[in-house]
Amino acid sequence: MSRFLFVVPPLVGHVNPTIGVAAELVARGHAVAWAGHHDVVRKLVGDDAAVLDCASPELAARGSDLTGPAAFRFLWQDFLLPLARAMAPGVRAAVAEFAPDVVVADQQAVAGGLVAEELGLPWVTSATTSAELVDPLSGMPKVKTWLAERIDGLRGGSGGPDPRFSPHGVLAFTTRELLGPVELPHDDVWLVGPSVLPRPSTSDFPWEWIVEGTPTVLVTLGTANADAGHRFLAQAAQALSRLPVRAVLVDPDSSLSEVPDNVLVRRHVPQLDLLPRVDAVVCHAGHNTVCESLWHGVPLVVAPIRDDQPIVAGQVVAAGAGVRVRFSRATSAHLADAITTVLDDTTGHRRAAAVVGDSFRAAGGAARAADHLEKV
Amino acid sequence: MSVDTTAPVTGGQVTEDTVLAEISGMLRVLLDEYGLDDVEITMDTRFHEDLELESIDLVSLSADLKERYGDEVNFAEFIAGFELEEIIAMTVGQLVDHVVVSLREAARG
Repeated sequence: MSRFLFVVPPLVGHVNPTIGVAAELVARGHAVAWAGHHDVVRKLVGDDAAVLDCASPELAARGSDLTGPAAFRFLWQDFLLPLARAMAPGVRAAVAEFAPDVVVADQQAVAGGLVAEELGLPWVTSATTSAELVDPLSGMPKVKTWLAERIDGLRGGSGGPDPRFSPHGVLAFTTRELLGPVELPHDDVWLVGPSVLPRPSTSDFPWEWIVEGTPTVLVTLGTANADAGHRFLAQAAQALSRLPVRAVLVDPDSSLSEVPDNVLVRRHVPQLDLLPRVDAVVCHAGHNTVCESLWHGVPLVVAPIRDDQPIVAGQVVAAGAGVRVRFSRATSAHLADAITTVLDDTTGHRRAAAVVGDSFRAAGGAARAADHLEKV
Repeated sequence: MSVDTTAPVTGGQVTEDTVLAEISGMLRVLLDEYGLDDVEITMDTRFHEDLELESIDLVSLSADLKERYGDEVNFAEFIAGFELEEIIAMTVGQLVDHVVVSLREAARG
């Protein structure tokens, strides 16, 4: 029996994939705990799990105009680097209390890798999005240096392995079918597929809304972008009003003033329960929403906002599983065209989505991830 | 147009005006479907803040530049020379200047 400590940032999409892996480890007789923002993590992992609190600033609201390289600067300078500094003492305390054999450090909870390295513990990277695996800054060496210097500054400039890529191994919750033929940073990047696990549903849903024989479209911008999405959601609602579909639109801020008859607006939805009954998803190309949709063979309309989303959107299009639109400029006409295209079976998007979904199930997910972790 | 100076001509044709017009044309084609009618493209237009270009657009633009100007203009090298702050603030004018200088150097041999 071994002890595994998951170090996570206060981001839903980064915690969720660890839940299935942790459950698998527990089923095999191991002990697990999480180190992270207590309230955020507790809500996701359930009341019975061990959660060791780390001071963690939450990601501040970001407007729709914060995109591209400015969003990159904000993400690191104003969130991930301060997060690493804030979390480090909590991670050290968690290690002292839980005495893990292996630390599983999220790629964006940089304190995990740094502290494990400092204490000489074996650690593995959890890459819940594949965007970092494709070396997104390769064309911008000075930006790469900017980041590397700041990350190294977290450990006093002492140098050492990149805390985002453990030399012991990187769990990547994707497959080649979605990732594409890119070169991986090293041989121990394990493409285990998404860890999609039935999770306790936190929102109720009027299931009678879904009608057999009428296509259902889900529109969601994920958990970290609500404030940026008001214009886009309004255009999407207009687009849907013209289509022979029934739609579920997630509007966490209740920003929509007019709602067409064929659109059900909810502040939250039980996404995993909904996806098997949905025919298309319109989203921001967040890695988890994309993977959960493809897992269920649902084609996508992707409108990336920032961060890893443009890369993930590119992967969806390259896999043939969806259509890309511009988040900031797409009108109801663009969106209506895109939704119609992916709903049309003759375009092949649904089939391509199913192929990626099959690759996900074949990759082994949480069980395969647990196999790798047991060997560390 | 905010550009009223005509740069000295080298190798026959290369002026800031013509290059700006050509690059504006490429950007309009790139964003065509999304209607750029309301956006005037000048030397001061910023790639990110004003045009909201995405990384795939830069890849397309790089291909367009290569097709138009050949190997004399190296967009990848142009981008690689920038610090983060410079990339955030990058303008159409900087690219135009880069193209003009590259073509003149090539013409001089």
